[in-house]
Amino acid sequence: MTFLKLDHVTKRYGAAAALDNASLEIAAGEVHALMGENGAGKSTLIKVLAGVVKPDNCSLNIDGSKVPLDGPDDAARHGFRFIHQELNIVPHLSVAENIVMAQAYPRRFGVAVDWRRVHKKARAALERLDVDHIDTRRKTARLSTGDQMLVKIAATLVSSDAHPARLYVMDEPTAALTGQECDKLFAVIEGLKQSGASVLFVSHRMNEVMQICDRVTIYRDGRTIETTKIAETSRERIIEAMTGRAIRDTYPARAHAPAKEIFCAVEKLRTKHVSGLEFSLKRGEILGVAGLAESGQSEVLHAFLGDEKPLSGKVEFQGKQSLPSAPSVAWKRRIAYVPRERRREGLMLRRSIVDNAVLPHLAQLGSGRIFSSRRKERAHTGAIAERVRLKFGRLGQPCYQLSGGNQQKVVFARALGKTPELLLLDEPTRGVDVGAKFDIYTLVRELSTAGSTTIMTSSDLPELIGMCDRILVMRDHRQHAIVETDGLTPARLLQMFYE
Amino acid sequence: MLSLVRRFGTLIGFCAIIVFFWTQLPDTFMTPRNMLNISQQISMLAVVAFTMTIVMVMGDFDLSVGSMASLAGVAAAIVFSHDYPVYAGIAAALAVGAVGGLFNGFLVSYIGILPFVATLGTLTMFSGAAFLVSGGKTIFGRDIPSGFSGFARSGISLEWLGLQPLHLPYLTILAIAVLVLVWIGLEHTPYGRRLYAIGGNYEAARLAGVKVRILRMSAFALTGLGAATAGLMYASRVASANPTQGSGLMLDAIAAVFLGMTMSEEGEPRVFATLVGVLILGVLDNGLTQMSVDSYVREVLVGAIVVLAVASSSIGKQRA
Ligand SMILES: Nc1ncnc2c1ncn2[C@@H]1O[C@H](COP(=O)(O)OP(=O)(O)OP(=O)(O)O)[C@@H](O)[C@H]1O
Ligand SMILES: [Mg+2]
Repeated sequence: MTFLKLDHVTKRYGAAAALDNASLEIAAGEVHALMGENGAGKSTLIKVLAGVVKPDNCSLNIDGSKVPLDGPDDAARHGFRFIHQELNIVPHLSVAENIVMAQAYPRRFGVAVDWRRVHKKARAALERLDVDHIDTRRKTARLSTGDQMLVKIAATLVSSDAHPARLYVMDEPTAALTGQECDKLFAVIEGLKQSGASVLFVSHRMNEVMQICDRVTIYRDGRTIETTKIAETSRERIIEAMTGRAIRDTYPARAHAPAKEIFCAVEKLRTKHVSGLEFSLKRGEILGVAGLAESGQSEVLHAFLGDEKPLSGKVEFQGKQSLPSAPSVAWKRRIAYVPRERRREGLMLRRSIVDNAVLPHLAQLGSGRIFSSRRKERAHTGAIAERVRLKFGRLGQPCYQLSGGNQQKVVFARALGKTPELLLLDEPTRGVDVGAKFDIYTLVRELSTAGSTTIMTSSDLPELIGMCDRILVMRDHRQHAIVETDGLTPARLLQMFYE
Repeated sequence: MLSLVRRFGTLIGFCAIIVFFWTQLPDTFMTPRNMLNISQQISMLAVVAFTMTIVMVMGDFDLSVGSMASLAGVAAAIVFSHDYPVYAGIAAALAVGAVGGLFNGFLVSYIGILPFVATLGTLTMFSGAAFLVSGGKTIFGRDIPSGFSGFARSGISLEWLGLQPLHLPYLTILAIAVLVLVWIGLEHTPYGRRLYAIGGNYEAARLAGVKVRILRMSAFALTGLGAATAGLMYASRVASANPTQGSGLMLDAIAAVFLGMTMSEEGEPRVFATLVGVLILGVLDNGLTQMSVDSYVREVLVGAIVVLAVASSSIGKQRA
């Protein structure tokens, strides 16, 4: 039975249409996937549904009758709950406040906030997610990204008597979560479904969609391509509908084995946050770093970026006995970095694509010793945008206007600026669509063949196994093991996180 | 329509102000003499505002520019009064500006104090120091060499334009030179682009290899240098120096940058936009004075215009 029907949704930004007569139909009690390439218009549709983006045209039917949608209040009245792609938590407020915020605070005598009940409500919401390691009194800024996402998810689960929730909209909720955290989320989604609510679920991870969704609607360039039952379609068909071309959903093969030359070796390396690092890397090798959430994977990368000071141990790296002392030194030594959180650590959102892409390379792209050259910068950015298949309007466009996946591509494009000697990738494909992921894999492989060494993390274990030569398993911020990926299965790798 | 107001409101307002004064003061306002006069009147504010733009690009402020201008003027005058040559006084004033600015930058960038708080503190320090070294008195008369004060009174003859008795004041030329330097520095060198990057996202800039700390400190030093230059210009113009003469500059300079920021799409400070802000304030001041409007009324008006400009640039920004 159709619960929600959205028709003729059009939203133009200047001449380009983010949504072009798109539609969406969700049945009561189903988990409905919304899929499409980066920039297809998924988030825009969700923002229209939330009343935060004003469409040029739109008609909304709920339970068969036309209803208005003129702002966030209307969306709340219809019982819609949202997890937007951009994690919009209030960092300096407590976890409890972030969870309860959207609802009326419980009060005592009608005035003073009843903090005990606030925390109780928040804890109850977290318990539904089977989360007990987050203290509701902590400042949200202190939490890891994954935990922040869990808080955000919990916030949508807080019950409200005024407007019972009927539709949960989740825009790439799993992009920042590990496998285990995803499983918890999927259990909750199943529960919501049992209770009769619907879920609109956006993800670029095929496995998840095939696993938890009942139907899928596919968008391409702002238009609806089709809606089908998951049971009646296949990964290949979905990908083809999304991209309009047939793409192999696999990993490019390695051209040849990495060189024999040792590029870097560390012995008993200890920093403030990680210890026991002991490995050597050959030139051109791709090393994965894996582990449970927050086990020190990012910190391994930070050590090579010069953002995590070594305290003891031996290093042999680029012919020196030291790691870079600061990120500025690292970039000079041709170490390129893609940070984990693109919006906080990667992008200047209000500045142009060009400004973002050339930042570490300004000096090389100048004319003469003093002046910078816009012409060279634009040419450079144009070329590199093509390599990562960036979808954009113009190069001078501010980055916040790009879709989430395309923002990620800008950060990646920045790292490709000069051919790096060492490429540090922290979750490089987060939020990137299937086709573009393949492009990124291919680029990394090409760089590797050309002699760039790579260290990457990813919570997507098949991706790590598919891309890397070896995987460094971290446990409790210590090196636990280092394994060859030949014949390694995700299940076996996952086991190593615990055993 | 709304987006037009948002984008060009400030520029439209500027034109409206000019047209208004032109009709109200048909004989005296739109004359070459008055234009040159305005350019000289605003030259000090302009230099401070242009260099203030450098720190505001990073999202920072410098509240100490006014008292730095006073201190630098007093410092030069003290050096003059000990019979040192003109260039020594100028060098001393500029050194004071650079050191004071570096100190601001150090507090903000290395100690990590909010710019608002840090420069509020140094505002008082610089002002106190100016009183201290001057003994609270105005230094003037024979102590100020005529070579120094003559600078502000002369300029390049405009005979070739057929404007016989008029001169393009050196102060105006100096302000234009600062404008060009800041423009090149901010928009056409990696240095300036990095400052904009810091303003865009400090952490991202740092991780992308920008030396954020030292750049931030150096930007404050440049602002200090600008303030000291303005202090010298002021001292030259009035042929004297006292410990309060720069105090009006800070608020006007920040207001000018804000007015300019309303003109860019993303609300970034740009030095040519700051120039428009300075011109708006300068023209208002000049026109209202000529119409003998009470100076308190003038303040209310200037404040209202700043608020109006910022408001018009944010109309309709909430819902895209
Ligand atoms: N404020 C804006 N100004 C201009 N263009 C915009 C703006 N917001 C979105 N767009 C454009 O609309 C298109 C759709 O963006 P949207 O964020 O909906 O994509 P998406 O399907 O969510 O992609 P992703 O998978 O990368 O998150 C993109 O091409 C984007 O550049
Ligand atoms: Mg999106």
